[in-house]
Amino acid sequence: MAVVEINNVFKTYHDTEVEVKAINGVTLSFEKGDFAVIVGPSGSGKTTLLNLVGGLDQPTGGEILIAGHRLSELRSSELIDFRMDHVGFVFQSYNLIPVLTAAENVGFIMNLQKWPKEKRMARTDELLSSVGLADRHKSRPSQLSGGQQQRVAVARALATHPEFILADEPTANLDSKSAESLLDIMEKLNHEEGMTFIFSTHDTRVMKRAHRVITLEDGKVVSDEIRTE
Amino acid sequence: MITAIAWKNVWRNKTRSLIVIAAVTIGVFAGIFSMAAINSTVVQRIDAAVNEELSHIQVNNKDFRKSTDIQNVISDYQGVVAALESTPGVTKVTGRIIIRGIASTAIKSAGVEITGIDVEKEKEIFTISEKLIPGTGSFFETDTKFNTVFIGEKLAKELNIIRYIITPESIIILTDEGVPTDIISKVGTLQGQRFVSDKKFIKACEKILEPSEMEKYEWKIKEAAWSYREGSKIVLSFLDINNNQTGAAFRVSGIFRTNNDMFESLSLFVPMDELRQLTGMEKGAFHRVIARLENNDITNSVTPVIREKLVDYEVLNWKEIQPDLAMITDFIEQIYGVFMALILAALAFGIVNTMLMSVLERTRELGMLMAIGMNRRKIFIMIMLESIFLSIVGGFAGMAVSEVVITITGKTGINLVKYSEGMEAIGYSAYLFPTIDTQFFITTTILIVLTGILSAIYPARKALKLSPVEALRGE
Repeated sequence: MAVVEINNVFKTYHDTEVEVKAINGVTLSFEKGDFAVIVGPSGSGKTTLLNLVGGLDQPTGGEILIAGHRLSELRSSELIDFRMDHVGFVFQSYNLIPVLTAAENVGFIMNLQKWPKEKRMARTDELLSSVGLADRHKSRPSQLSGGQQQRVAVARALATHPEFILADEPTANLDSKSAESLLDIMEKLNHEEGMTFIFSTHDTRVMKRAHRVITLEDGKVVSDEIRTE
Repeated sequence: MITAIAWKNVWRNKTRSLIVIAAVTIGVFAGIFSMAAINSTVVQRIDAAVNEELSHIQVNNKDFRKSTDIQNVISDYQGVVAALESTPGVTKVTGRIIIRGIASTAIKSAGVEITGIDVEKEKEIFTISEKLIPGTGSFFETDTKFNTVFIGEKLAKELNIIRYIITPESIIILTDEGVPTDIISKVGTLQGQRFVSDKKFIKACEKILEPSEMEKYEWKIKEAAWSYREGSKIVLSFLDINNNQTGAAFRVSGIFRTNNDMFESLSLFVPMDELRQLTGMEKGAFHRVIARLENNDITNSVTPVIREKLVDYEVLNWKEIQPDLAMITDFIEQIYGVFMALILAALAFGIVNTMLMSVLERTRELGMLMAIGMNRRKIFIMIMLESIFLSIVGGFAGMAVSEVVITITGKTGINLVKYSEGMEAIGYSAYLFPTIDTQFFITTTILIVLTGILSAIYPARKALKLSPVEALRGE
């Protein structure tokens, strides 16, 4: 079953007199367990497409369905809840909450969803262990390396069992070792738990690991390559 | 969770938050303390007016205030006293004879209001006997065959009973007071000279001392040179019961000092019997009956009760006799309103500025929070709470500092002796004892929190307008 269905989606920006078609008729679908990367030169529409799939932005044409929900039918407030329940986000610059510890960052969305404390703590422990940070519960983001922060971000994204994780250039700010380590964790989660990952990246290290590489140019899909192991 | 994050966010930029908190603290302290100081002048003035000059209620013959004719007496003194004493809230009652006259010495004369008093009862109702300047005699305690009078320092100066003379004793006083020896030796050059007014004495001092020295030691030098010859005589002239000019020499029994120059220069007190004898007034005749109440606060409720009982007389409370006092209280409240509005406006701008900076600095973070599922209501609440915390911490710190300073200065007093001449001319003390009631603290706290909430609205709305897409944009 398709987790994400993108049907003939357009996104057009009107910049004074110029009309910019950031996404120009994209049709794609992502299945559960996909480990897919969206690649393409700068300005090709990768981030815009990710924003549309994540429900952060609305398309100007076409429709997007996530787990059977039509995003265009959701109101702004419903979209926020929808994102919280169905989508995990990993950002390029980690974007952890600096005043919270690693454990509090991971537990943040569970807290918003009012999980009972014990269940929340158990899930936090489980997630921090799975990203190799079992001993860094009480560390603030400023006390963690970039790679460690990104691993906390992955744990946070996974916390509420989303349908899929959108990762926008997750390795862009990491050194090789940290990037490989992060990808190992993501790959493992994909293999063992069937978690769906959709990346936008320029990073060849991510591309090498992907099972599916979608190339965008000028807002259009120019290739959609599925790799067999 | 939101509350915890908001609290932690306040301390993210410690320096900035501390600056805002310090600003709030100083603002609140400035507001409360200055109000406490202003309030104290009013409270002291009202206390002085009630305790030394007016008491709470005065009952007069209906025509007495229009015409202070000696004949305008209270017709049924005993009846009035009984009506007052039976009124709940009234604690003490006494009668007075009041006559206009002239006080004179060989050199000068002045118009005065001569009040005939029952010395013992007067002590129970008024504190004027406690205002006796040490060394000037007593409140009618000396057994003498002469008529006696208790007069104010200001009148004593006007009549040249008080003089300024630098004597060897003055030098000792100044030395004890810690005045530097060079100043004392300069002042010593005035030894032996008599100054009949403080103006002349000050002028002489100004010739030998630097302005800065005068500013610092003028008060001490004046006190040390203050000289009074006990038992000085003055002549009081007035009309008797038959409207004939009469008068007699009175020995000054004592000199009182209050904070009200006008009262000091106009009012003098004479034992009732002496005045009766000189005026020919009958034993039961009084011009005014004075009633003391349990406290100031019941004045408004007790007045109509007495007025109803004594319809044939003029019944006035202290607020009606001196409407300026009541007016000043209202005026102070208005000043407080303006003052607090200014402080709160400054506070609001400070908070808006800080919170706006804080929101703009955190654009990406706030966008990320929206992206991962924190709704706009929670973002709004978080920013509001941050601002409220800043206001509350600063507000409470300001109140704590105010409480400490008001408690200390309420005991030690604030010395405004430099301005005593001006202040005492209008009846205010040169020593302030700041005081404020709990209600004021509560009102101020509420106003501060309200300001914090209102100031947070604009930055919080700004935060709501942020797009979560920002969070996914590259650096």
